[in-house]
Amino acid sequence: MSFLPDWAEPVLDYMLRVGLKGTLQIAALSLAGSLVIGITLGTLLTIKFMPSRALIRLYIEVWRGLPILVTLFLVFFLLPSVNPRLEFDALISASIALTLWGSAQVAEATRGAVQSIPKEQHEAASALGFGWIGRHTFVILPQALRRLLPPLVGLLVNIIQNSTIAQVIGAPELLESAERQVERLAAPPPIGIGEVEAIPIYATVMVIFFCISFPLTRLAAYLEKRLT
Amino acid sequence: MTSLAVAFDWSFITENGDELLAGLRRTLEVSAIAIAGAFVIGLVLGAARAHRVPVISQLAAIYVEIIRNTPILVQIFFLFFALPQIGIVLEPFTVAWLAVTIWGGAFNTENFRAGFEAVPFRFREAGSALGFGRLATFLNVTLPIGGRIALPSSINTYISVVKNTSLMYVISYPELTTTALNINALTLQTVETFTTLAVTYLVIVWSMSASIRVVERRLALPEDAR
Repeated sequence: MSFLPDWAEPVLDYMLRVGLKGTLQIAALSLAGSLVIGITLGTLLTIKFMPSRALIRLYIEVWRGLPILVTLFLVFFLLPSVNPRLEFDALISASIALTLWGSAQVAEATRGAVQSIPKEQHEAASALGFGWIGRHTFVILPQALRRLLPPLVGLLVNIIQNSTIAQVIGAPELLESAERQVERLAAPPPIGIGEVEAIPIYATVMVIFFCISFPLTRLAAYLEKRLT
Repeated sequence: MTSLAVAFDWSFITENGDELLAGLRRTLEVSAIAIAGAFVIGLVLGAARAHRVPVISQLAAIYVEIIRNTPILVQIFFLFFALPQIGIVLEPFTVAWLAVTIWGGAFNTENFRAGFEAVPFRFREAGSALGFGRLATFLNVTLPIGGRIALPSSINTYISVVKNTSLMYVISYPELTTTALNINALTLQTVETFTTLAVTYLVIVWSMSASIRVVERRLALPEDAR
């Protein structure tokens, strides 16, 4: 690594150890939340009961319609002002905002996937004595999941990329860690080197995100192709 | 939980309406520039991709992959905070429209490429049979049919462009979100500020999604052209 300048190694180390770790934490929390809430709401949306459908529709359209940054501000600034107990740290707030957005995407995709399962499957499961919950858990959703997989991989890419908005409220993720290092290096020695190294550092952030996203978008495209 | 029953103070609108409208105007201004730019980029590069125009097609593919596989917020940071290192200092307004134009252009290239490629090859052959050259075939056959196929997905990209202008908060460009946050810092009327902000975005986004359905109906291809 001798072709790299002296400052590079500690900077990269910090970005991977603190930054990338935070990014992956936010992404994991948001993905888990989006899947649980999204698949549940999406399945419930297939029930022909007007009031519940209208409520879930509203949930989907609101969180899909708002810019994620605005949702983040609602969680980070509005919630605690309404009730002080609803105050979360930056990392959790970002995960909540991404979960609201992601679960709306998953719900919409799940509805489509569940409705694509032929009604004979429902009838056969009922004939075997399954109730609504058993029928969906053991028969319908496992089949719908196959159709759901490509959009879910796409969602993961979007969640990872959108986790950068956590930088705005100072959560320790990749972009925030890069910004901190740019500022540190600009300080005079011994803290920094008194030079602005923004281009190589932000370019590195882009390269890291590209290395994560590119294989996943390829995978999503491959899964999509194999399905049809 | 008593504080849940906070009343909306309507004087907030009369006192801050002008400033919010100015922010909304800048959001719409930046969006309009970016949508026009993304339309042109998508049309040209999408056509180059679909027709495999040498060199341009490969360069367009690289552009699309870089933009789609990196977060737009990092792209904004690069334009605004990194480029000054090599002496390129851009105004917040320039970065605002440029960042969303580059981003929307990349997604639109894919939308139009998919649209043009969905036009059956025999239609293009029919164009050649009628004596049209490559350009004339594109303008008279591929564009009107493929353009309509690409329309719904490209409007979705324009919706995302409008939503992404909110990210200009990080470069302090006073569009709607930045304006609202500034007002909140001064007035501390958090409920009023964020309700107004959210409702404004929902009105814009929901009307744009509704327009997809209208456009889809009005521009639906006749059955025999599908």
